[in-house]
Formats: sequence, structure tokens, C-alpha cells
Amino acid sequence: MKIKAKLKGDLVEAKVMIKHDMLTYDQAKAKTGKREDANFIVHIEATVNGKAVFDASTSQFLSKNPIVGFSFKGKAGDNLVVNTVDLKGNKDTETQAIR
Amino acid sequence: MQRRKFLSLGALAAVVTMVPASLSALDFRATKPDVWTAKTVNDGIAKLFGKVATPSDAIKLTIPKVASNGGQIPVDIATDIPAKTVALFQDANPESAIMVWNVVEGSVVDYSLKIKMKKSGSMTVVVEGKDGKLYSTTKSLDVALGGCEG
Repeated sequence: MKIKAKLKGDLVEAKVMIKHDMLTYDQAKAKTGKREDANFIVHIEATVNGKAVFDASTSQFLSKNPIVGFSFKGKAGDNLVVNTVDLKGNKDTETQAIR
Repeated sequence: MQRRKFLSLGALAAVVTMVPASLSALDFRATKPDVWTAKTVNDGIAKLFGKVATPSDAIKLTIPKVASNGGQIPVDIATDIPAKTVALFQDANPESAIMVWNVVEGSVVDYSLKIKMKKSGSMTVVVEGKDGKLYSTTKSLDVALGGCEG
């Protein structure tokens, strides 16, 4: 996962690039013959100083290695922490200072 | 007896004060599991909000008219409506729901993402305002090369 977070005015513009295959049920079936092999990010959450700034549930139809952008009120120097969970329960977390 | 009551009150207060920190995260997969298996846009909206949305031009949905690659379609969503929840649906894939945002305090509804679509179709953004009303906007696009075959 890669994060870019930049302060513009009083809003922080964040872009999160997540490395994930985002395998849909149909793609899994075509690839391995089993629908159950599908795996994709189901929840993305971002916090600054323990306070949520972004919270979204996602489906299989995000692109492969999805890029998610969002904005929130913040200030430079704070750490933006992004957590993701996929369908199989694999968790990933990344921290990036806001510039 | 008095003391017992007092202690239980204290325990309750502790629980109440602890809740807000964990309540900020809302997992729509856990709370609304039916949304993610809904086949049509209208069904998805009904499963998520239980209401019908009215079209509004206060929502800005920016998508290409023609997507050359259905596996990487850029989508931008922005609105000034004070929102509680934002949801994105489309009608080309087997299931309609793409993403549901829980708009947290201090954030702005200005989202971008990349999605995949199997064929040409349309996208619908539904915004649930803080007033409890549903607003929606729909845009169609052509997909030259489907993005779900992998």
C-alpha cells in the first residue's frame, strides 16, 4: 500500500494505492473453477490521531490495485493511518505523514 | 442495594463513554449484507436505505463518456449536500453495489476511485443527507473493453 497525503488550503487530499488483485467471483471461477476463491478488499478505513477521517465498505468491482482518493480537514505533520481488510480477513496497515 | 445500583450505573457509563471511539467505523458488509448481493441498482438502494431516491443535480459524478479499459474506470464523486452516507452502484456487473462510504465528521464528500465494469452501462450515486432524504444522480458510459474477464 502506498499513501500520498498533501495539505491544500485547510483540506488534506489523500490518495491511497492498494496492492490487491481484487479477484471477483466471476474471475475466480474462470481462473480456478471455484467461486469461493474470490478475494477483494471489503473495508478501508483511515484515521488521524485515532479519529476516523475515512470509512468505506467496498465490493469486488474496484479495479485491480485500486486507487482511492478522499479529502478531510487536517494539518501537516500528522500521521495518516490507513487500514484495509479483505474478504479472507487479511489485514494491511500503512502510515504516512501529511505533507 | 444502593451501592450495587451505583456500581452498575458506573459500569454502564464506562460502556457508553467507550462506544464513540469504536462507533466511528461502520462496516456496511456486516450491517447490510443484502446490499452486496443485490442484482439491480434499485434493489441495492432499497436494501441499503429502504427508500427511493429522488434525482438531484447537487451531486457531481464525473466519469468518462467512453472507457477504453473497463478494468480501470476513473470515477469522481463530489457533493455539497451535508451527507451521512454515500453509495455507488452500477448496472453492468453481476451485482450492483460498488462502494458505500460512511461520511465521517470533518471529512468532505470528494471521493475518487477506479472501478471495473463488464460492459457499457450506467452508474448511480446515492447520497443520504443528514436530513434523512435520499438524493441520486445517474450517468451512462460506454465500455470498449470489459474489465471483469481478468
